Amino acid sequence: MFYQTPLRTAVLLLFTLACIYAAFTAEYFGVEILTEIIILAMIVLALDLVAGFGGMVSLCHGALAGVGAYIFAIFTAKLGLHPLLAMGIAALITGAVSWVIGTICSKTHGIYFIMATLAFGQMAYSFVFESSYLGGDNGMAGIPRLDLSMIGIDLFDSKQFALLCLACLLVAYLFAWRILTSGLGRSLVGIMHNEKRSRALGQNVVQIKAQVFALSGLILGLAGSLSAQHIMFISPNLLSWTHSGEALVIVILGGLGTLIGPIIGAAAFVLLKHEVSNYTDHWHLIVGIILIIVVMAGARGIYGEIEHRIAKRCAKRVQKEQAPKQAKEKTKEHSLSHAGLKKEH
Amino acid sequence: MLEVSDLCKRFGALEVTKNVSMRLEKGERRVILGPNGAGKTTLFNQLVGEIIPDSGSIKVNGQEVGDWSVEKRARFGLSRSYQQNTLFDGITIGESLGLAAAVSTSKSMWFWKDSLQDADVKAIVRDTAEQVGLEDNLGARVSDVSYGIRRQLEVGLALATRPSVLLMDEPTSGVGPEMIGAFHRLLGRLSRELTIVIIEHDMDLAFDVADSMTVLNYGEVVFEGTPGEARESEMLQQIYLGAWDDA
Repeated sequence: MFYQTPLRTAVLLLFTLACIYAAFTAEYFGVEILTEIIILAMIVLALDLVAGFGGMVSLCHGALAGVGAYIFAIFTAKLGLHPLLAMGIAALITGAVSWVIGTICSKTHGIYFIMATLAFGQMAYSFVFESSYLGGDNGMAGIPRLDLSMIGIDLFDSKQFALLCLACLLVAYLFAWRILTSGLGRSLVGIMHNEKRSRALGQNVVQIKAQVFALSGLILGLAGSLSAQHIMFISPNLLSWTHSGEALVIVILGGLGTLIGPIIGAAAFVLLKHEVSNYTDHWHLIVGIILIIVVMAGARGIYGEIEHRIAKRCAKRVQKEQAPKQAKEKTKEHSLSHAGLKKEH
Repeated sequence: MLEVSDLCKRFGALEVTKNVSMRLEKGERRVILGPNGAGKTTLFNQLVGEIIPDSGSIKVNGQEVGDWSVEKRARFGLSRSYQQNTLFDGITIGESLGLAAAVSTSKSMWFWKDSLQDADVKAIVRDTAEQVGLEDNLGARVSDVSYGIRRQLEVGLALATRPSVLLMDEPTSGVGPEMIGAFHRLLGRLSRELTIVIIEHDMDLAFDVADSMTVLNYGEVVFEGTPGEARESEMLQQIYLGAWDDA
């Protein structure tokens, strides 16, 4: 079951402060990387919601974020709708598409679930790639950014745009936290641990899985529309299955089923990519080696490992503190029984 | 309360359920006996919808449930425990009971509120834990507790859904005499409104708790009657019970 522990809150707070600090101190390129991290963090957060707490390992989450980006682009660049309204529509439509995919795929398990989601992702990719209305493989340009100048915020300033993305990430985190600590989220975790028993208790397994998949889609829709605004250009590459695979790698790297872990994973992944690619084009090789080490070391991920070690240390400390007390009680009992025996004699 | 008519199931050439019919009144406690492979668990699986029968009808409270899914039957009040523990290993006993209680109080799909923190759910968890003797283990992880406690939880999960018909598949399998006694006492404390069907191999327990008995052999009902009639049946002694007096 998910619980927002003080450690998780502290890490989230630390991450937020680090992002704010980076936004104010980094140069243009650094702020762009920061925005990339935050948008990716939203996608992996949405993936952790379904994979880490529902056992639904999705290979279409990248594509769904791409769907969100394209819907935002259509409603703004093509239909001239206000970007704020288009963001809401993008989130809702992506959520609805996710619900359909979730409903169909929830009837499958394991590798078949992965393959079914991959098939949906590839279908979306092919559709966008072939569509001349959506620009085909040339993509779509001229995507506007949200205009908040009336409240004094200039989102064409990369720093302010990064902070808007950060605010959206925090909202997404609070949303995911709320879902996981609701009746729906509790039921989802139960289904992940034993689907057969959940059915026997009367849980509507397909409906629960599909609903959480749809809620995860809402976050993806929002992330997609931010991604479209970030570069102000989108291409079918956004929906490529490699993005979904990358998101899965990041979730495992950060800590599957921890919610905050994948956010840390996203930061580690993007920073590693940019740092290592300064020295070699084969940065994937380094990420691969790190992923193998993480998996071999217990598959808890970066944050999961930290949480595990702290929990272990705390348990040891409690044990140590209790040991003298228990010994004292034992001695007391022993002396009392001894006195009792003497009295009886 | 539970009415089964002409239930048939065949796996290839093997006929595992042959025209099984039985009728249980509200509050009746029926023990199902039969040698290994007699089709007792397969019958249970058909009653709850985990196996679809080839033909026949299953009615609960006059309602035909044969076409319903497992979860719909469970929500209608047909609950079961398993012969082999089927539990939520990664969470605690309290959380497991909470999941079951949330279904019975229609809070398992709550979108915005925590079902485990709900007062009604907490009350059911507390009552059920008390019933099955798990009140001191609510915080323990299911994977960390002993086999006996897991058996208690197996029954507890079925009870926490607040069923009208409870199907228990060998609830005392693999536990010692002390726990069999505790289970016996638990059955004594359960409401007489609850209709119970038990597959049981412990003869003392079976004869003590049963209002009626059904004996299956090779998938068909070979006896139905009261425990007293069962004791006197020579056919049953030959088929299943062997040294009857030892029971």
